[in-house]
Amino acid sequence: MRVRAGVTVLCLAMMVAACSDSSTEAGFAGLAQQPADVDASGFLQPQPGDTLTFPEDWGPHPQHRIEWWYLTANLETSDGDPLGVQWTQFRQALQPRSVESEAPNPDNWPLEAAWMAHGAVSFNGEHWFAEKLARGDVGHTGATAEPFEVWLDDWRLRAVPDSDHWRLRAQGDGWAYDLRLSNTNRMVAHGDKGFSAKSASGEGSMYFSLVDLRIEGTVTLGGETLEVSGKGWFDREWSSQFLKGGQQGWDWFALHLDGGEKLMGFRLREDDGAFLAGSWIRPGGEVDALGSEDVTLSPSSWHESEQGRVPVAWRLTIPQYDVDVTITAPPGNYWNTGLYPYWESPVSVTGSHPGVGYMELTGYSD
Amino acid sequence: MMLVGAFISHYRRHPFQLAALALMIVLATMLWAGVTVLTDQARNSLFQSEEAVAPRVHVVRTDGQPVGVAEFAALRMDGLCVAPWLEVQRPAPEGRVIGIDPLAMGCFGEATPGGKSGELDGTPFLDISEAKRLSREGYDSRLYLLAPNENAELPQGYALREFSLGPSTGELADSFLLNLDALSLLVLLITGLLVRSVHRLGIAQRQASFDLLYRFGVQRGRVRRLLALELVVLTSVCVLPGLWLGTQLAGVLGSGLGQALDSLFDVTLYAGSAEALPWQAAGVMVLLVLAVCLVDWLVPQRWRGALSSSRARLAAVLVVLAGLVVVALAPELARVFAGTALVFVGVGWLTPGVLAFLAQRLSDRASLDGAGPLTRWRHRELAVMFRQLALPVVALQFAMATVLAVQALVTTFESTFDDWLAQRLEAEFYLEVPPGADASLAADRLRRLEGIGPWHRVSRGEAGIVSESGGGDKTLPVDLFALAPISDLVAAWTLLASVDQPWQKLEQGGVMVNEQLARRRQLEPGDVLEVLVRDTVISVDVVAIYADYGRPAGEILMAGSALPEGFVARFESFSVNPGELAMAEIREQLAEVWNVTDVTVRDNASIRALASRVFGQTFLLTRAISLLTLVLAAAALLIMSWVFFTTRVWYFRLLGIWGLPAKAIRSQLRRLSVILTVAVTLAALPLGIWLTWVLVARINPLAFGWSLPMALYPGFWLELGLVAVVTGLVVAHLMRRQLVHRASGQQVKI
Amino acid sequence: MSSPVLAIEGLSKGFASGGQRVSVLTGLTLSVLPGESLAVIGRSGSGKSTLLNLLCGLQRADGGVITVAGESFDSSDNRDFDTRWAELRRRSIGVVFQDANLMPALSLVENVQLRANLAGLAGGGERRWLERLGVGAEADRYPDQVSGGQAQRAALAMVFAMAPSLILADEPTGSLDRHTADEVADCLFDVQRNSGCALVLATHDRELAGRCNHLLDLSGTP
Repeated sequence: MRVRAGVTVLCLAMMVAACSDSSTEAGFAGLAQQPADVDASGFLQPQPGDTLTFPEDWGPHPQHRIEWWYLTANLETSDGDPLGVQWTQFRQALQPRSVESEAPNPDNWPLEAAWMAHGAVSFNGEHWFAEKLARGDVGHTGATAEPFEVWLDDWRLRAVPDSDHWRLRAQGDGWAYDLRLSNTNRMVAHGDKGFSAKSASGEGSMYFSLVDLRIEGTVTLGGETLEVSGKGWFDREWSSQFLKGGQQGWDWFALHLDGGEKLMGFRLREDDGAFLAGSWIRPGGEVDALGSEDVTLSPSSWHESEQGRVPVAWRLTIPQYDVDVTITAPPGNYWNTGLYPYWESPVSVTGSHPGVGYMELTGYSD
Repeated sequence: MMLVGAFISHYRRHPFQLAALALMIVLATMLWAGVTVLTDQARNSLFQSEEAVAPRVHVVRTDGQPVGVAEFAALRMDGLCVAPWLEVQRPAPEGRVIGIDPLAMGCFGEATPGGKSGELDGTPFLDISEAKRLSREGYDSRLYLLAPNENAELPQGYALREFSLGPSTGELADSFLLNLDALSLLVLLITGLLVRSVHRLGIAQRQASFDLLYRFGVQRGRVRRLLALELVVLTSVCVLPGLWLGTQLAGVLGSGLGQALDSLFDVTLYAGSAEALPWQAAGVMVLLVLAVCLVDWLVPQRWRGALSSSRARLAAVLVVLAGLVVVALAPELARVFAGTALVFVGVGWLTPGVLAFLAQRLSDRASLDGAGPLTRWRHRELAVMFRQLALPVVALQFAMATVLAVQALVTTFESTFDDWLAQRLEAEFYLEVPPGADASLAADRLRRLEGIGPWHRVSRGEAGIVSESGGGDKTLPVDLFALAPISDLVAAWTLLASVDQPWQKLEQGGVMVNEQLARRRQLEPGDVLEVLVRDTVISVDVVAIYADYGRPAGEILMAGSALPEGFVARFESFSVNPGELAMAEIREQLAEVWNVTDVTVRDNASIRALASRVFGQTFLLTRAISLLTLVLAAAALLIMSWVFFTTRVWYFRLLGIWGLPAKAIRSQLRRLSVILTVAVTLAALPLGIWLTWVLVARINPLAFGWSLPMALYPGFWLELGLVAVVTGLVVAHLMRRQLVHRASGQQVKI
Repeated sequence: MSSPVLAIEGLSKGFASGGQRVSVLTGLTLSVLPGESLAVIGRSGSGKSTLLNLLCGLQRADGGVITVAGESFDSSDNRDFDTRWAELRRRSIGVVFQDANLMPALSLVENVQLRANLAGLAGGGERRWLERLGVGAEADRYPDQVSGGQAQRAALAMVFAMAPSLILADEPTGSLDRHTADEVADCLFDVQRNSGCALVLATHDRELAGRCNHLLDLSGTP
């Protein structure tokens, strides 16, 4: 693959420690498997007890190796047809930089961080996807906390000045969207005040979300512009090591339940077993952190495609809240076939707590 | 089991034969693997060079200020596809390097600059941060912002320009590669012949035991199956070392030799592709060995005897004639290839018989001329050898013909390439007219400069050739370029045909057309062309046809003074020899005239050096291929002659018993083998020359619309003749050892 | 009385075999006069061929002196051994083997011409020799186009055409049937006696041996 080769070469050309220990095998922002002996020297690793700081945490964390800004949206057209939207921007540092030190001079075409943006639209069983790459610190990609803005080329998410909403624009071959996001102040910190454990031995990331976004705007598909509106879920997450050795990938869910509850749950697949965690968010906004002992999650049906075999229907139970639901992706192929392929699809929830949501599955590609 | 034992007992008795066959397969695989690797390397090397000098579209600021990181970021954020291209000029041996940002290349799709796979495997491409670091060490550098070739809508203040580091090699490279592929096929044919010759030799010697087995009740089919199995096992075992050796050899030829021969050679350019074993070459080889060795079973018995009958010889002559006619007249490439194959088949079929016939004639002449019976005997032995060694003789003939053709082709390409560089890089310096600047102001200024050398203004644009036949809008679009004034810079141009004093006639309003257009429209000097420029149709005389290698487009050349009103140049530049002035001074003058801070000046010498270097490397690789082929063919002849002489050694010793001194016997042996190899060389000569002609005069025009000049290199024929003499002497030397060896240990008794 | 064409004095020859030295000939002394013939008989490996090889210089003796046509070769004298023998073979010694005496690429007459030419004779009588040996009609054929007996007659013609002083024949009729063998032998003895050259003939054939003037049996030699 063209761009992949490019990134590989970048790593070879740089020959910096950052590259050698987060080689392409490790994937971009942890999207592929990590080698067993990850050495995070020079990068900060989130610890239990770390807390969130605002507004700084909306912006980039140059001392951490990976982070992302992540939006999924379960929308409906004016005809009532469901339509899913994803937008993600990743940052992958090749070398760490302390917050205090100055950014490198753009004139030198520095190569301290590579950025990647993904945009996808899922509608009527079809899936549109595009990927963009850029080197950081040159100007055409980056993120700022205040005013809040994340961009790569002409894709852009930014807080509209003197308003309480954000605007997101992106486009690719045959698709485009221009969305207005409101209700951007109801923030949920996952795990322990924002530290979200990702393994039993304590590795983890900093992780918070906006779980109750109202979204409206337009989505253009093949020249036809659709008015859309619906719910969105926005994630901010950063770390220096996401998957530890022996973990193959994750299954992640963000669900909007009809009763007003929100549920985030993920499972990190390990060589022997899995690590489960999540957050149960009550309609009033109170958050209960969930651990491996609180949740059961098991695939019930699989989808075969040339990219790989993925579970597309799941049973999820949380006995303490009497939750016993089936989570199902609509028919279709929802692989994001970029540098590191993964599955990203809207889902419907049936059973004790019906609703809608999004599912992301990594580590299944052949 | 007993059968298998009986079967292979022959090789226990004659291990040399097994070794010879194994060696032949190893050598053949080595050659083919080597050729595959070298061809790939030549291909990669050409792609790299093309990448490095291909014309590109870039974005400039209309205010003449240079572009930088800020412009790049701004354009990207506006949604435009642009990518940085930072050229850094370093002294030799590194030369020019180009920094690119692979992360920014995604939007270019298939047309990604900087290598087909996007890999930065060393020079000239490296990461732009690294290139920038180099430029900070004080080397000259310049940043371009590349854009895809399609016209994008640019924001206010920006414009698209074309730039090229040198003229595009375009089809010149494609043509070379096509020829290289054709030659690779020929190499495969030669290896097939060689393997077959050694295999047949063994089979002939084992025929008696096969017959015996048949009499013992073993069915022939079973013998054949065992033979096939034996061949499969042997080939599988021998292909591996052959592959490895071929790769190693290609590595040595490709890099080591290159380095030794020319310190300017940029080794990194062809590094990297020789690491993996070319497995597909192994597959081809196994199939080839099986095919050439077992093909007899597919040919009905009665045909085999017929192959050497006089009727068959007549058929072979007809095949050759048919091939020649097809090649000469065929309107398409595939038929030329088929015709060439026919000629090779026919010639291969005929050659041993013709050579034997000539030897026989020589022997008859020897009797008439009163030469001794010994001379007569030698000629007769020669005739026998030509028949018995038919396959290796034909293989050597083909190999020599190939070597001749490759040499001529490469030398032709080299000189063509020089011509072509001279034509396009005619001046020492090249100046681009900045966007929005008026070229005529600069021309006025240059005209007034005292001491400046020859220069001309080049304007490029479009025109149409109005079709004479048929109504309607049948205008053929062509490129138009104009020179003013017509200076001495054009002296190096190669004109294929012209009227008297073509350049004066051009100045007076004639046009020159490139070969492609002349071929397409069957134009000759003196013809009249209707040329549409903008809205005006003008009638002009064709005064010359110029060679224009490496591109398909038709082109016409006019004098700048003869351009009709309304002509709009798409692109303008100046070619300048500074003469007594310093280029910096001229540059300053023009910057002043155009009111810009900087004028881009290209140093043509450095571009020429770069282009020559990458091409030189490709040529070297090609020569290496042909050399390998020759070595293998000579080795095969050596093996075969050895075996052949073993069967004839008694007669040489009979001469000794008859009292001919040992020295005289050795002299006879030497003459025989040298005459053999030299005769094969002579037989290869016409075939090689013809093959050269086919490559340059038939295949190239059909594939690309332009021909290469046909040149003969008798000096090289002599070199090849020398190689033949040396091969003959080595064969004689080996045989002599065999004579001595036999005589000492054994009694003279049959 | 004429001097012998061939004289041998104290000739010995041995071979290394399995680390031991095996003597084939020890102190052999004999002489053959012009027009005389000597048959050498003995079982296989007794040294018949070795003796013939020694007599034409294709092998070197361990001891003794060989004199052929007045030219003496002392085994202790190495000077010009090969050259002197080659010259002698070319002009004075005719050798006939059991078969393969002819160059396959030359016709019968061309073979005879070649041999005569090597012997330094002007040539011209080659066809007559072939006729005299009964293969005149086959003169222009090639060796592989005639029978074994005809080929052997041609080989004899070749030898006689060079007018040798000494003929060495190693089983000259060994590959022929009885009848043909007798015919070839008749020719051999007939011409040999008439031309006055000496003949040394190695053979298994007691009858053929019986036709010679002298008999040397090597069977007794260890």
